[in-house]
Amino acid sequence: MSAAITAAHAPVDAGPSRVSRTLALAGAELRLFLRNRTAVVNSVLLPLLLVAAVPALGIGEEVGPVGPQLVVTAIGVMLVFLTYYNLLTTFVARREEQILQRMRTGELTGLEVVLGIAAPTLLVTAGQIAVVALGVAVIGEWSAPVDVVLPVVALLCGAALMLMLAAASTAFTRTSESAQITALPLLVISSSLCGLFFPLSLMPEALATAARYLPLTPVVELSRLGLSGRTWDGDVVDLAGAWSAAPLPLAVLAGWLVVGAVLARRGFRWAPRR
Amino acid sequence: MQPVDAPVRPVPRPDAAVPAVEVTGLRRRYGAFEAVRGISFAVQPGEVFALLGVNGAGKTSALEVLEGLARPDGGTVRILGADPHLERAAVRPHLGVLLQSSGLPGDLSVRETVSTWQRTLTDPRPVDEALGQVGLTDRADVRVRSLSGGERRRLDLALALLGRPRVLVLDEPTTGLDPESRRAVWGLVHEMVDGGTAVVLTTHHLEEAEELADRIAVLRAGLIELSGTPAEIAGTQPSTIRFSLPADAPALPALPGADVVAPGPSVDVHTRALQADLTTLLTWAADHDVELGGLQARAASLEQAFLAVADGTPVPTR
Repeated sequence: MSAAITAAHAPVDAGPSRVSRTLALAGAELRLFLRNRTAVVNSVLLPLLLVAAVPALGIGEEVGPVGPQLVVTAIGVMLVFLTYYNLLTTFVARREEQILQRMRTGELTGLEVVLGIAAPTLLVTAGQIAVVALGVAVIGEWSAPVDVVLPVVALLCGAALMLMLAAASTAFTRTSESAQITALPLLVISSSLCGLFFPLSLMPEALATAARYLPLTPVVELSRLGLSGRTWDGDVVDLAGAWSAAPLPLAVLAGWLVVGAVLARRGFRWAPRR
Repeated sequence: MQPVDAPVRPVPRPDAAVPAVEVTGLRRRYGAFEAVRGISFAVQPGEVFALLGVNGAGKTSALEVLEGLARPDGGTVRILGADPHLERAAVRPHLGVLLQSSGLPGDLSVRETVSTWQRTLTDPRPVDEALGQVGLTDRADVRVRSLSGGERRRLDLALALLGRPRVLVLDEPTTGLDPESRRAVWGLVHEMVDGGTAVVLTTHHLEEAEELADRIAVLRAGLIELSGTPAEIAGTQPSTIRFSLPADAPALPALPGADVVAPGPSVDVHTRALQADLTTLLTWAADHDVELGGLQARAASLEQAFLAVADGTPVPTR
């Protein structure tokens, strides 16, 4: 660093920390979210509908409490349809409004800008999953999880992965409307092959094996191992069994986090294309 | 600078050895197109440097490197001696940036916008002072969405000035402002400069460059065609004497070195010796009792020099 700046910098108190800078932006973003009535109503309504659907459909009456499976579903669905999709459209909208470029002219770093903008979506994701968990407890469909560590790891890493994939997807998403198309690979392919909507064990073996390497599948597998005590092909396991089935999905998830970080760094664009 | 603007932190004595901004051989390329083709300049603390040029001349591309938003494809840029991209964390607390166009969330109020930005800065001004500076005190609780274009631009400027920058980069600061707001912005720039801030700005308004800039560079197709003080730049173009002659006037006197254009009764004399040639003409007119109708004599304006360069007319050297 040059003498000029060091000399200038020395007597100055250090500025706000990275965390407080990020929180300043996150606070403003949260305020913006709360001022958007439609978004607020939607995010409260969605998980309640999911819970309300259980008695209405009369599912799960033969195999014991359906609650844990519903929470697994909530984790998978929210991460893709809320975290990923919402973040993608938000990043692109902020970019096209030239807000991102402005944020970069200050002391905020790129990572701080991204995290600050993502904060409301991440909070809503956590809130919705909590509402679903609470809801199934209220309707009496809850049962104690086999393990809590695996689902928590799955949720945190899954959210981080969705954030990175959303950032990476901005590279090929020109407007927030075109996200309806560019988000389809993850929204349709990965979520239909993650084992939520139909069991991987019913698929041809080659397809099932391939599906286990898609980004959302390990999140669902790990959540299910911990919350329902079931493996991807339907075996019932205890705590030890859950952990002994965990290494593959954990490794796949870790691999995706690395890939996601690289893609996000390379693909994220700050300014509209001219 | 006003007392209210006095910085809280001790301002280091401007270091004569290190210019506030130093650009050396800067190049920027978009694929095969080279937008900036090797430009150099330096700006000292307390100095205003204006980059002029038509759209597409490379002004914004050059500024993006100063702002640390883009890497140069060649050459170097130093802000207070440091690389604005690689040593971002060191440069940013001292750098104020006003982009040519940028957005703000529409649903935050003016005050919320400023105070959010303030909480990200090392040594910010108080919010009320920042709002007062740009005349937005009365609009503090209005949503950004409801501001007029000029008010929004002033809010942009308030954010750029919020961190008490020692280097200020302003990309077309007054585009879209009414004349009164424009004068207010000029006043703010003068205030910052009096406090020792170095300013680099681009503008389309030549009177703005004349009003603010200590030095000007005219950019054409990525190269600096012309640089100097506003007076020096205007001086690259000849002065003009204009008058009309009665039909029975005798032949004009010889004006060595001047370019006399007389398509009809009206005459334009382009000269680099305004005073001498004007004296010759007036003496001649008096001697021959000729009335020079609508006589005007004026030195070249910055605008003339700018248009000459922007048009691609070769600049004559003296």
